[in-house]
Amino acid sequence: MAGAAVPEPSGKGKKKALDSVVNVVPFIDLLSCCLAFLLITAVWTQVGKLQVAQAGGQGEPTPPDSKTLVLTLGLSEKGFSLTAGQGAGAIDIPKKGTEFDIPALLDKLKEVKTQFPDQQTITVSPEDSVQYNDLVQTIDACMKMGLNSVTVQAVS
Amino acid sequence: MAILTPGKRPAKRFRKSKVMSGKFGKGRKVANSDLQLTSMVDMFTLLVIFLLANFSATGDVLFMSKEIQLPTASHGSEIERAPVVAITDNFIGLEGQKVVDVDQIAHDEILNIQALEDNLRDLKKREEFVHQLDKDHQFAGKINIQADKRTHFKIIKRVMYSCAMAGYGNINFAILAGKQDKAPVPGAPGAPPAAPAADQKPN
Repeated sequence: MAGAAVPEPSGKGKKKALDSVVNVVPFIDLLSCCLAFLLITAVWTQVGKLQVAQAGGQGEPTPPDSKTLVLTLGLSEKGFSLTAGQGAGAIDIPKKGTEFDIPALLDKLKEVKTQFPDQQTITVSPEDSVQYNDLVQTIDACMKMGLNSVTVQAVS
Repeated sequence: MAILTPGKRPAKRFRKSKVMSGKFGKGRKVANSDLQLTSMVDMFTLLVIFLLANFSATGDVLFMSKEIQLPTASHGSEIERAPVVAITDNFIGLEGQKVVDVDQIAHDEILNIQALEDNLRDLKKREEFVHQLDKDHQFAGKINIQADKRTHFKIIKRVMYSCAMAGYGNINFAILAGKQDKAPVPGAPGAPPAAPAADQKPN
Protein backbone atom coordinates (compact mmCIF):
# COMPACT_ATOMS: atom_id res chain seq x y z
CA MET A 1 0.00 0.00 0.00
CA ALA A 2 1.29 3.41 -0.85
CA GLY A 3 -0.70 5.12 1.81
CA ALA A 4 0.82 7.55 4.24
CA ALA A 5 -0.67 5.79 7.24
CA VAL A 6 1.61 4.21 9.78
CA PRO A 7 1.17 0.44 9.74
CA GLU A 8 -0.28 -1.06 12.82
CA PRO A 9 2.04 -3.44 14.69
CA SER A 10 1.27 -6.97 13.65
CA GLY A 11 1.97 -10.16 15.49
CA LYS A 12 2.53 -10.60 19.14
CA GLY A 13 4.56 -8.61 21.55
CA LYS A 14 8.22 -7.93 20.89
CA LYS A 15 8.63 -8.75 17.21
CA LYS A 16 9.55 -5.79 15.09
CA ALA A 17 7.24 -4.91 12.24
CA LEU A 18 8.71 -5.82 8.86
CA ASP A 19 6.53 -3.36 6.96
CA SER A 20 8.30 -0.16 6.15
CA VAL A 21 6.48 3.06 5.56
CA VAL A 22 6.96 4.68 2.19
CA ASN A 23 6.67 8.39 2.56
CA VAL A 24 4.58 9.40 -0.40
CA VAL A 25 4.09 13.01 0.59
CA PRO A 26 7.10 14.38 -1.41
CA PHE A 27 6.03 12.25 -4.36
CA ILE A 28 2.54 13.74 -4.23
CA ASP A 29 4.06 17.22 -3.98
CA LEU A 30 6.17 16.59 -7.06
CA LEU A 31 3.22 15.20 -8.98
CA SER A 32 1.08 18.17 -8.02
CA CYS A 33 3.72 20.62 -9.23
CA CYS A 34 4.17 18.71 -12.51
CA LEU A 35 0.42 18.57 -12.99
CA ALA A 36 -0.02 22.29 -12.41
CA PHE A 37 2.86 23.16 -14.75
CA LEU A 38 1.68 20.85 -17.50
CA LEU A 39 -1.93 22.01 -17.24
CA ILE A 40 -0.87 25.65 -17.52
CA THR A 41 1.45 25.09 -20.47
CA ALA A 42 -0.74 22.56 -22.29
CA VAL A 43 -1.60 23.35 -25.92
CA TRP A 44 -5.12 22.15 -26.53
CA THR A 45 -5.43 23.04 -30.22
CA GLN A 46 -3.03 21.34 -32.60
CA VAL A 47 -2.18 23.93 -35.20
CA GLY A 48 -0.34 23.01 -38.37
CA LYS A 49 0.72 24.67 -41.57
CA LEU A 50 0.43 24.14 -45.29
CA GLN A 51 3.44 25.54 -47.05
CA VAL A 52 2.67 27.15 -50.36
CA ALA A 53 4.64 29.07 -52.91
CA GLN A 54 3.45 32.15 -54.62
CA ALA A 55 3.58 32.45 -58.38
CA GLY A 56 6.59 34.58 -59.23
CA GLY A 57 8.01 34.14 -55.74
CA GLN A 58 10.94 32.23 -54.30
CA GLY A 59 9.32 28.82 -54.46
CA GLU A 60 8.32 28.91 -58.08
CA PRO A 61 8.40 25.41 -59.55
CA THR A 62 11.19 24.46 -61.88
CA PRO A 63 10.41 23.95 -65.58
CA PRO A 64 8.92 20.53 -66.17
CA ASP A 65 10.99 17.75 -67.69
CA SER A 66 9.76 14.75 -69.63
CA LYS A 67 8.69 12.91 -66.48
CA THR A 68 6.47 15.67 -65.20
CA LEU A 69 3.94 18.05 -66.63
CA VAL A 70 2.48 21.45 -65.89
CA LEU A 71 -0.50 20.76 -63.70
CA THR A 72 -2.92 23.60 -63.06
CA LEU A 73 -6.00 23.42 -60.91
CA GLY A 74 -8.51 26.21 -61.16
CA LEU A 75 -11.14 26.89 -58.52
CA SER A 76 -14.24 28.81 -59.48
CA GLU A 77 -17.87 29.08 -58.44
CA LYS A 78 -18.63 26.21 -60.82
CA GLY A 79 -16.06 23.85 -59.38
CA PHE A 80 -12.60 22.55 -60.22
CA SER A 81 -10.91 22.83 -63.57
CA LEU A 82 -7.85 20.60 -63.93
CA THR A 83 -5.42 21.17 -66.76
CA ALA A 84 -2.74 18.53 -67.16
CA GLY A 85 -0.04 19.67 -69.54
CA GLN A 86 0.39 22.75 -71.65
CA GLY A 87 -2.19 22.97 -74.39
CA ALA A 88 -4.24 20.13 -72.95
CA GLY A 89 -7.95 20.55 -72.44
CA ALA A 90 -9.29 21.32 -68.99
CA ILE A 91 -11.11 18.63 -67.05
CA ASP A 92 -14.09 20.16 -65.28
CA ILE A 93 -15.16 18.78 -61.93
CA PRO A 94 -18.42 20.53 -61.05
CA LYS A 95 -19.47 21.25 -57.49
CA LYS A 96 -21.67 18.86 -55.58
CA GLY A 97 -24.37 21.24 -54.44
CA THR A 98 -22.49 24.06 -52.79
CA GLU A 99 -19.39 22.02 -51.95
CA PHE A 100 -16.34 21.34 -54.07
CA ASP A 101 -16.16 17.70 -55.11
CA ILE A 102 -12.92 16.71 -53.36
CA PRO A 103 -13.30 12.90 -53.92
CA ALA A 104 -13.66 13.43 -57.68
CA LEU A 105 -10.60 15.67 -57.63
CA LEU A 106 -8.66 12.99 -55.76
CA ASP A 107 -9.61 10.45 -58.42
CA LYS A 108 -8.36 12.71 -61.21
CA LEU A 109 -5.16 13.53 -59.35
CA LYS A 110 -4.67 9.83 -58.72
CA GLU A 111 -4.82 9.20 -62.46
CA VAL A 112 -2.22 11.90 -63.04
CA LYS A 113 -0.02 10.55 -60.27
CA THR A 114 -0.26 7.05 -61.64
CA GLN A 115 0.90 8.19 -65.07
CA PHE A 116 3.50 10.63 -63.73
CA PRO A 117 4.83 9.28 -60.44
CA ASP A 118 7.57 11.94 -60.30
CA GLN A 119 5.05 14.74 -60.48
CA GLN A 120 5.44 16.89 -57.36
CA THR A 121 4.24 20.31 -58.43
CA ILE A 122 0.82 21.77 -58.97
CA THR A 123 -0.43 25.29 -59.43
CA VAL A 124 -3.68 26.12 -57.68
CA SER A 125 -5.45 29.05 -59.19
CA PRO A 126 -8.55 30.17 -57.27
CA GLU A 127 -10.96 32.90 -58.22
CA ASP A 128 -11.50 35.86 -55.90
CA SER A 129 -14.77 34.50 -54.56
CA VAL A 130 -13.28 31.19 -53.38
CA GLN A 131 -13.20 30.85 -49.61
CA TYR A 132 -10.05 30.09 -47.64
CA ASN A 133 -11.54 26.84 -46.37
CA ASP A 134 -12.05 25.54 -49.93
CA LEU A 135 -8.54 26.59 -50.88
CA VAL A 136 -7.06 24.76 -47.90
CA GLN A 137 -9.10 21.63 -48.59
CA THR A 138 -7.88 21.67 -52.19
CA ILE A 139 -4.24 22.08 -51.17
CA ASP A 140 -4.71 19.32 -48.61
CA ALA A 141 -6.10 17.02 -51.32
CA CYS A 142 -3.09 17.80 -53.54
CA MET A 143 -0.70 17.00 -50.72
CA LYS A 144 -2.57 13.81 -50.01
CA MET A 145 -1.78 12.71 -53.55
CA GLY A 146 1.89 13.50 -53.14
CA LEU A 147 1.82 16.84 -54.94
CA ASN A 148 3.74 18.56 -52.18
CA SER A 149 4.99 21.58 -54.04
CA VAL A 150 1.87 23.71 -54.30
CA THR A 151 1.98 27.12 -55.91
CA VAL A 152 -0.93 29.49 -55.40
CA GLN A 153 -1.61 31.83 -58.27
CA ALA A 154 -4.38 34.34 -58.68
CA VAL A 155 -6.51 34.12 -61.80
CA SER A 156 -5.19 36.68 -64.23
CA MET B 1 -6.34 27.44 22.16
CA ALA B 2 -4.99 23.96 21.83
CA ILE B 3 -6.30 21.66 19.11
CA LEU B 4 -8.10 18.77 20.71
CA THR B 5 -9.05 15.38 19.34
CA PRO B 6 -12.65 15.32 18.22
CA GLY B 7 -15.05 13.48 20.44
CA LYS B 8 -16.58 13.70 23.85
CA ARG B 9 -14.61 15.70 26.38
CA PRO B 10 -16.04 15.27 29.86
CA ALA B 11 -15.48 17.78 32.58
CA LYS B 12 -12.73 17.03 35.11
CA ARG B 13 -15.12 16.11 37.88
CA PHE B 14 -16.89 13.60 35.61
CA ARG B 15 -13.56 12.09 34.59
CA LYS B 16 -12.66 11.49 38.24
CA SER B 17 -16.11 10.24 39.14
CA LYS B 18 -16.38 6.51 39.68
CA VAL B 19 -19.87 6.45 38.29
CA MET B 20 -19.49 8.70 35.32
CA SER B 21 -15.89 7.98 34.28
CA GLY B 22 -16.80 4.53 32.99
CA LYS B 23 -19.16 6.05 30.50
CA PHE B 24 -16.37 7.98 28.88
CA GLY B 25 -13.44 5.75 29.51
CA LYS B 26 -14.47 2.58 27.73
CA GLY B 27 -15.30 1.86 24.14
CA ARG B 28 -13.94 5.12 22.84
CA LYS B 29 -13.46 5.01 19.10
CA VAL B 30 -10.20 6.12 17.51
CA ALA B 31 -10.78 9.55 16.04
CA ASN B 32 -7.92 9.38 13.53
CA SER B 33 -8.75 7.83 10.18
CA ASP B 34 -6.21 6.76 7.57
CA LEU B 35 -6.35 8.67 4.30
CA GLN B 36 -6.16 6.37 1.29
CA LEU B 37 -3.75 8.04 -1.09
CA THR B 38 -3.27 5.17 -3.52
CA SER B 39 -6.06 6.13 -5.88
CA MET B 40 -5.10 9.79 -5.80
CA VAL B 41 -1.46 9.03 -6.61
CA ASP B 42 -2.61 6.74 -9.43
CA MET B 43 -4.81 9.47 -10.88
CA PHE B 44 -2.04 12.05 -10.59
CA THR B 45 0.43 9.72 -12.32
CA LEU B 46 -1.97 9.05 -15.19
CA LEU B 47 -2.69 12.75 -15.64
CA VAL B 48 1.01 13.63 -15.63
CA ILE B 49 1.78 10.92 -18.20
CA PHE B 50 -1.07 12.07 -20.44
CA LEU B 51 -0.03 15.72 -20.24
CA LEU B 52 3.63 14.89 -20.81
CA ALA B 53 2.70 12.88 -23.90
CA ASN B 54 0.80 15.88 -25.28
CA PHE B 55 3.42 18.41 -24.25
CA SER B 56 4.48 20.82 -26.94
CA ALA B 57 7.74 22.66 -26.48
CA THR B 58 6.87 25.24 -29.13
CA GLY B 59 3.81 26.43 -27.23
CA ASP B 60 1.10 28.49 -28.83
CA VAL B 61 2.42 30.02 -32.03
CA LEU B 62 -0.91 31.52 -32.99
CA PHE B 63 -3.23 33.61 -30.90
CA MET B 64 -6.57 31.87 -31.25
CA SER B 65 -9.57 34.17 -31.22
CA LYS B 66 -13.26 33.63 -31.73
CA GLU B 67 -13.20 35.75 -34.86
CA ILE B 68 -10.86 33.38 -36.66
CA GLN B 69 -12.00 29.83 -37.28
CA LEU B 70 -9.21 27.92 -38.93
CA PRO B 71 -9.98 25.25 -41.54
CA THR B 72 -8.98 21.67 -40.84
CA ALA B 73 -6.44 19.81 -42.93
CA SER B 74 -4.85 16.43 -42.40
CA HIS B 75 -1.61 16.75 -44.36
CA GLY B 76 -0.08 19.80 -42.77
CA SER B 77 3.23 19.91 -40.98
CA GLU B 78 4.12 21.37 -37.62
CA ILE B 79 3.87 25.11 -37.54
CA GLU B 80 7.01 27.11 -36.82
CA ARG B 81 7.43 30.38 -35.03
CA ALA B 82 7.24 33.19 -37.55
CA PRO B 83 5.38 36.50 -37.88
CA VAL B 84 1.64 35.95 -38.04
CA VAL B 85 -0.71 37.87 -40.30
CA ALA B 86 -4.25 37.45 -39.01
CA ILE B 87 -7.19 38.01 -41.34
CA THR B 88 -10.67 38.34 -39.89
CA ASP B 89 -13.91 39.60 -41.41
CA ASN B 90 -13.20 43.06 -40.09
CA PHE B 91 -9.49 43.70 -40.02
CA ILE B 92 -6.03 42.51 -40.96
CA GLY B 93 -3.50 42.32 -38.17
CA LEU B 94 0.19 41.62 -37.77
CA GLU B 95 1.59 40.00 -34.64
CA GLY B 96 -1.61 40.67 -32.71
CA GLN B 97 -1.78 44.33 -33.70
CA LYS B 98 -4.49 45.62 -36.00
CA VAL B 99 -2.99 47.06 -39.17
CA VAL B 100 -5.88 47.93 -41.44
CA ASP B 101 -9.63 47.49 -41.69
CA VAL B 102 -10.90 45.24 -44.44
CA ASP B 103 -13.47 47.86 -45.41
CA GLN B 104 -10.69 50.38 -46.03
CA ILE B 105 -8.96 48.22 -48.60
CA ALA B 106 -11.98 46.50 -50.12
CA HIS B 107 -12.34 48.98 -52.98
CA ASP B 108 -8.67 49.58 -53.71
CA GLU B 109 -7.55 49.04 -57.26
CA ILE B 110 -3.97 48.13 -56.44
CA LEU B 111 -3.01 44.64 -55.31
CA ASN B 112 -0.80 45.34 -52.33
CA ILE B 113 -1.91 46.57 -48.92
CA GLN B 114 0.45 49.46 -48.24
CA ALA B 115 0.01 49.60 -44.45
CA LEU B 116 0.68 45.89 -44.09
CA GLU B 117 3.66 46.03 -46.41
CA ASP B 118 5.19 48.92 -44.44
CA ASN B 119 4.72 47.07 -41.16
CA LEU B 120 6.26 43.93 -42.61
CA ARG B 121 9.25 45.85 -43.94
CA ASP B 122 9.83 47.30 -40.46
CA LEU B 123 9.52 43.84 -38.96
CA LYS B 124 11.96 42.44 -41.49
CA LYS B 125 14.50 45.15 -40.68
CA ARG B 126 14.16 44.37 -36.98
CA GLU B 127 14.53 40.63 -37.53
CA GLU B 128 17.58 41.11 -39.74
CA PHE B 129 19.16 43.43 -37.18
CA VAL B 130 18.50 41.08 -34.29
CA HIS B 131 19.85 38.04 -36.11
CA GLN B 132 22.72 39.71 -37.98
CA LEU B 133 25.33 37.91 -35.88
CA ASP B 134 23.34 34.72 -35.45
CA LYS B 135 24.12 32.72 -38.57
CA ASP B 136 21.96 29.80 -37.49
CA HIS B 137 18.82 31.90 -37.46
CA GLN B 138 19.16 34.10 -40.48
CA PHE B 139 16.08 35.75 -41.93
CA ALA B 140 14.30 33.18 -44.11
CA GLY B 141 11.21 35.15 -45.10
CA LYS B 142 8.83 32.84 -43.28
CA ILE B 143 5.38 34.08 -42.48
CA ASN B 144 2.21 32.45 -41.19
CA ILE B 145 -1.15 33.51 -42.55
CA GLN B 146 -3.95 32.87 -40.09
CA ALA B 147 -7.23 33.50 -41.87
CA ASP B 148 -10.82 32.75 -41.04
CA LYS B 149 -12.13 29.91 -43.14
CA ARG B 150 -14.80 32.11 -44.75
CA THR B 151 -12.29 34.69 -45.94
CA HIS B 152 -12.36 35.20 -49.67
CA PHE B 153 -9.26 34.63 -51.74
CA LYS B 154 -9.56 38.22 -52.91
CA ILE B 155 -8.23 39.35 -49.53
CA ILE B 156 -5.77 36.50 -49.13
CA LYS B 157 -4.08 37.11 -52.47
CA ARG B 158 -3.56 40.75 -51.54
CA VAL B 159 -2.05 39.75 -48.21
CA MET B 160 0.19 37.22 -49.96
CA TYR B 161 1.28 39.81 -52.48
CA SER B 162 2.05 42.34 -49.73
CA CYS B 163 4.07 39.72 -47.85
CA ALA B 164 6.04 38.87 -50.97
CA MET B 165 6.69 42.54 -51.70
CA ALA B 166 8.03 43.03 -48.18
CA GLY B 167 10.40 40.08 -48.51
CA TYR B 168 8.32 37.38 -46.85
CA GLY B 169 8.05 34.88 -49.68
CA ASN B 170 7.95 31.73 -47.59
CA ILE B 171 4.22 31.63 -46.93
CA ASN B 172 2.49 29.15 -44.66
CA PHE B 173 -1.26 28.79 -44.27
CA ALA B 174 -2.27 28.05 -40.70
CA ILE B 175 -4.66 25.15 -40.30
CA LEU B 176 -6.05 22.98 -37.56
CA ALA B 177 -4.38 19.61 -37.70
CA GLY B 178 -6.94 16.93 -38.46
CA LYS B 179 -6.64 13.17 -38.41
CA GLN B 180 -4.25 11.53 -40.83
CA ASP B 181 -5.68 8.96 -43.22
CA LYS B 182 -4.51 5.49 -42.37
CA ALA B 183 -4.34 4.00 -45.85
CA PRO B 184 -1.92 5.85 -48.11
CA VAL B 185 -3.15 6.56 -51.59
CA PRO B 186 -1.17 4.87 -54.38
CA GLY B 187 1.41 7.26 -55.71
CA ALA B 188 1.44 9.32 -52.54
CA PRO B 189 4.54 9.38 -50.29
CA GLY B 190 4.81 6.20 -48.27
CA ALA B 191 2.56 4.31 -50.63
CA PRO B 192 3.64 1.36 -52.74
CA PRO B 193 5.22 2.34 -56.06
CA ALA B 194 2.77 3.18 -58.78
CA ALA B 195 2.65 1.78 -62.29
CA PRO B 196 5.41 2.88 -64.66
CA ALA B 197 4.96 6.21 -66.33
CA ALA B 198 3.02 6.24 -69.52
CA ASP B 199 3.37 8.76 -72.26
CA GLN B 200 -0.32 9.49 -72.44
CA LYS B 201 -1.72 12.45 -70.63
CA PRO B 202 -4.96 12.04 -68.70
CA ASN B 203 -8.14 12.77 -70.54
